[in-house]
Amino acid sequence: MLKEKYADRIAAIFAKYPDKRSAMMPLLYLAQEEYGYVTPEALGEIAALIGVDPTQVRSISGFYTMFREEPKGKYWLQVCTDLPCALRGAEQFYQELLAELDVEDGGTTADGMFTVERVMCLAACDRAPVLQNNFHYHENLDMDKMRALIRQWREEAGQPAPDAAADSADPDDSAAG
Amino acid sequence: MTENTVTLHIDGTPYQMPEGMNLVDAARIYAGIEIPIFCYHPKMEPVGMCRMCLVDIGFEARDRATGEPVLNPDGTPQVRWGRKLETGCTTRVTAGMHIRTKTQAVTKARKDILEFLLSSHPLDCPICDKGGECPLQDLTMRHGPGTSRMAFDEKKRLGKHLPLGDLIVLDCERCIQCARCIRFQAEVVGDDVLAFHERARSLQIISISDPPFDTYFGGNTADVCPVGALTTVDFRFGARPWEMENIPSISPHGPVGENIALGVRLDRDSGGVKRVKRVLPRQNEEVNEIWISDKTRFGHHFTLSPDRLQTPLLRKRGELVEASWSDAIKAAAKAVKEAGNRVGIIAGPMMTNEDLYMLRGLAGHVGSRKLGVWPPNLGDPDPVAEVGIAAGSRLTALGKGDAVLVIASDLEEEAPIWFLQAKQAADRGAHLVVANMRTTKLDRYAGHVIAYDFNEGVDVLNGLTAAAISHRWTNRSALERVNGYDELTAALKGTRQPYKEAAEAMAKARNLVVFVGDDGLDPEGHTALLRAAANFLIITGHAGQLNNGLVPVWPGANTQGAFDLGFSSENTRAMLKNPPEVLILAGAPAAADPAYAALLDRVETVISLTMFHNAAAGADAPTTAVVLPIQSFAERDGTFTSAMRRVQRFYTAHGPAGQSLPAWEAVGLIGERLGMPRPPRSSALVMQALTEEVRLYSEMTYPALARVAEQFPPIGASPDFYGGATRSAAGGTGIAWPSRAEGRGKLTVKAVRAPEGVKPGPGELVISPVRRLYDRTPEFYTATLMHGRIPEPFAAVNTADASRLGIANGDSVVVHVAGAAVHVTAVVDSYAPEGVVLLPLYLSSEPMPLVPLAGTVEKITEPVPAD
Amino acid sequence: MNLIRGFVTTFKYLFREPVTYQYPEQERPFRERYKGRHALKRYDNGLEKCIGCALCAAACPADAIWVEAAENTDEVRYSPGERYAKTYEINMLRCIFCGYCEDACPTEAIVLEHEHRLSFTDRRDAIYTKADLLDPPSDGVPDTPQRVPPGSFDRSIPDMQNPL
Repeated sequence: MLKEKYADRIAAIFAKYPDKRSAMMPLLYLAQEEYGYVTPEALGEIAALIGVDPTQVRSISGFYTMFREEPKGKYWLQVCTDLPCALRGAEQFYQELLAELDVEDGGTTADGMFTVERVMCLAACDRAPVLQNNFHYHENLDMDKMRALIRQWREEAGQPAPDAAADSADPDDSAAG
Repeated sequence: MTENTVTLHIDGTPYQMPEGMNLVDAARIYAGIEIPIFCYHPKMEPVGMCRMCLVDIGFEARDRATGEPVLNPDGTPQVRWGRKLETGCTTRVTAGMHIRTKTQAVTKARKDILEFLLSSHPLDCPICDKGGECPLQDLTMRHGPGTSRMAFDEKKRLGKHLPLGDLIVLDCERCIQCARCIRFQAEVVGDDVLAFHERARSLQIISISDPPFDTYFGGNTADVCPVGALTTVDFRFGARPWEMENIPSISPHGPVGENIALGVRLDRDSGGVKRVKRVLPRQNEEVNEIWISDKTRFGHHFTLSPDRLQTPLLRKRGELVEASWSDAIKAAAKAVKEAGNRVGIIAGPMMTNEDLYMLRGLAGHVGSRKLGVWPPNLGDPDPVAEVGIAAGSRLTALGKGDAVLVIASDLEEEAPIWFLQAKQAADRGAHLVVANMRTTKLDRYAGHVIAYDFNEGVDVLNGLTAAAISHRWTNRSALERVNGYDELTAALKGTRQPYKEAAEAMAKARNLVVFVGDDGLDPEGHTALLRAAANFLIITGHAGQLNNGLVPVWPGANTQGAFDLGFSSENTRAMLKNPPEVLILAGAPAAADPAYAALLDRVETVISLTMFHNAAAGADAPTTAVVLPIQSFAERDGTFTSAMRRVQRFYTAHGPAGQSLPAWEAVGLIGERLGMPRPPRSSALVMQALTEEVRLYSEMTYPALARVAEQFPPIGASPDFYGGATRSAAGGTGIAWPSRAEGRGKLTVKAVRAPEGVKPGPGELVISPVRRLYDRTPEFYTATLMHGRIPEPFAAVNTADASRLGIANGDSVVVHVAGAAVHVTAVVDSYAPEGVVLLPLYLSSEPMPLVPLAGTVEKITEPVPAD
Repeated sequence: MNLIRGFVTTFKYLFREPVTYQYPEQERPFRERYKGRHALKRYDNGLEKCIGCALCAAACPADAIWVEAAENTDEVRYSPGERYAKTYEINMLRCIFCGYCEDACPTEAIVLEHEHRLSFTDRRDAIYTKADLLDPPSDGVPDTPQRVPPGSFDRSIPDMQNPL
């Protein structure tokens, strides 16, 4: 339970705002930090803390792309494909990224490492294609930079890339990438 | 809104309009010009979400240097038009404003908005329940583009059958995201259980409250929905809107007298006869505005329920068997004749004024005065006749500077529409004071919450009155017409005044409305509380003024009518001490109270007029000799008098169940056998006779009751404009009879003391009955779709009492009170005050007393046998 | 003189092909657009085209049609989409065979066919029910109600032509 575990932090969050309801987003971040995503139970906990119906909390967590409502991969990759980014090749980059990681739009890789999804506007149109990985920006991307990043993240997580044999066993996929 | 009138030009024509009025309303009402809308609703704050109301707005130009109006060469004022179109619904009428609604830009904007809305709206109008009364359909026909440049294949596909709770089904595709339903729940009701989820074209309405869409008003969201996105489970695919007749009617549930329209149509499953397909609100700004509770909306199923009694029953050789009307009437008349003046009558909450008048005539004929009201726990209603809320008052008029007191009532459970109106009055700035021995939902909106101990409601009101007297918050001119003021002052000397601030707010309020319930009160306590409330109203000068006065939260739809016609709860109680020989139960479920169940056995003959032949109506009593089937409100004409003393007329919607007759006719037939004149041929003639005999009702003839008062804003009158399913007031808005305070006579204040009350012995607790909106009476339980919303029988026990008795939350317990044993689940929380167990009425079929009494609560260790 | 002319006409017709049909044994071919008894059509997969919208009843100038709708589920499915006709009745004594119902139908479910032998000995028999009007499913296709995979037929209007 957030209430018991983070009593001090919750009190500090509430102290920042004149209206309890305004604390909803910081509390959602807290819940996401604790549970990995905004669980249905977390919605109820936050609603009880603020004194609103859980429906209102879910409304906020559903509106903003920063909140996950279901479990995601360890690395949560969000690519903006809105018009300005698309003009700078974000859409193509996105498709290539999907093929590289062999996932569907919005899906998670089989090893649970990466979730790839589209988002609306990351406010970095001038440096598109831009990717947000767990709230960190990576800008002016192309697939070469991207492959390096993926390798780096895999190493960080202690899960080196599936070996070359596995790649060559599935030639169609690498061809598509 | 200020009442300044200003000049505003629409399409070049000047109109006089009140300043500050919403532009959409003003254009429609004062200029007859339509500004189309989807999201705007006159009962909610404008949000400007749908952009349908875009108009060209300009102001008369003024010279910056001199402030003089800039004129065109021809002398007319020059208008500076806005660079873009603006939403009409978020604009208020201002002097010098110019509006253009017919320019090319406006026409194109409307076309584009409709094309945009339809780009993700399915064109399944033929199967949509809204088809035929759909604002989106209507406005598309009127303003739409006719064709679309969008590719049909790219329409957003979303869920088409998503239940929002048990009663409402959401079609996400049809939703045009106007948020009317969400705003209704948040602004009007205060149950914020609906919200948007996701964004843009994936936007959906969700409800994850527990249970989902947990509210008593959910059906109204389907009414205000401008498309077919929200449909009720009850009506879903039941009929096309044009196939139904809308019969004006009045809700038979509760004291508010909600104005409704019954949509009736022939039905093959019911053997090809007409039946009620849906219930819609009918606008009456002085009663329910345009809202109805879900109990009224879905609680109509009893009218043609197969459980209804179809034929008269007569006891032959110890058994009740089916009989003809003539035999049954003959037997009933014989019993009444033999009893002479030892005939008692108990009239139930759904008896109409016509029925009551005929019952009273029958009693008069045999010389009996035993005219009782069911339920038997009510006090003396005279304070209502004296200072009841003034005729023509509107709760919607209450706002800043006004005050509302709710005492001894859980308005949400007992009169949901008044809950809405009290809550909204508080939202508009009225000072709401809620006084009760337990917490109620209205507490959230209250400026003052007065939590008193059991039986101390009268002391609270006396304290408020004493505070008003000692601080001279009394009204001097009002006191001139008061008798007994000095005695009251003397009697209240030294009374504790713990709620001075609340007293000041209410006493000094411009308007004050006081709702008085019977929560936790015995009849003496109820009498005292009503009188104490009247005292406060009178001395503070709030009696007899418009939008002021006392509103009793009676339990039944026509309890007030029964009081007006000389019936009383006191007479019912007197029958316990002095049982009549023949007892006529007119729609009164008297055996639901163990004391009266015993009374049925102590009289010689019971004649029961009832819709449902069940234990509560005396089916199990061996003395029940004649049972006569009577008609429901939908099968006949009649009138109910609401607790605001408004006499309202309802009309025949469909044919009768079996051989049932209106109660007045059945009573008339008995009377005829006893030598009374032939009963009148129609309820209109009964009412005619009633108006000639009863002074209070002298104006209330059927033609007068059918008159329609003008409604503002005219939501029901122009369904295509505000885009709701609300019906117009056609059929009559009813007439309220004036209280005595509205006349010139003297008013009397009288000091009252809280009666002794219940004194629980050692090991005992007070068992206090409470009313719940959803219960298991046959008038409601026949609506099977509501079963999931009716709580299992429970008793609320205070945490301290529970720990003393070793009861945990969810334990099965048996409540022993007055010889009755009620098996319930214990709900342990601070909701019940210490020492008091709240036992909701009619949740289980076991009889229980209707007044607070001392009793015990015992935990059941072995499982209850299922039966 | 006129008498002779008359006989000449009669005489001429003796050698012409007769226009009379020996009706019960011999049937005259119908015009394609002849409006006879109504039939309720099905899609190729056996689902009913009628969605119970009652627009035919609304269009009917003789008030001869009575429709009551109910809701489909994937377990008990009569027609694509949410709604189907639970009751569908046409009173053939009232019907004037104008064909407005055909025009009103959004799914082309009701068609006036060539069946014209409508006789009854009881007024109540003049009411044709859904069982009388609905075409039987074609060979090898299951009758309604059908049990279908969830989500396969959840739209009634757009997919008018043979949803698969």
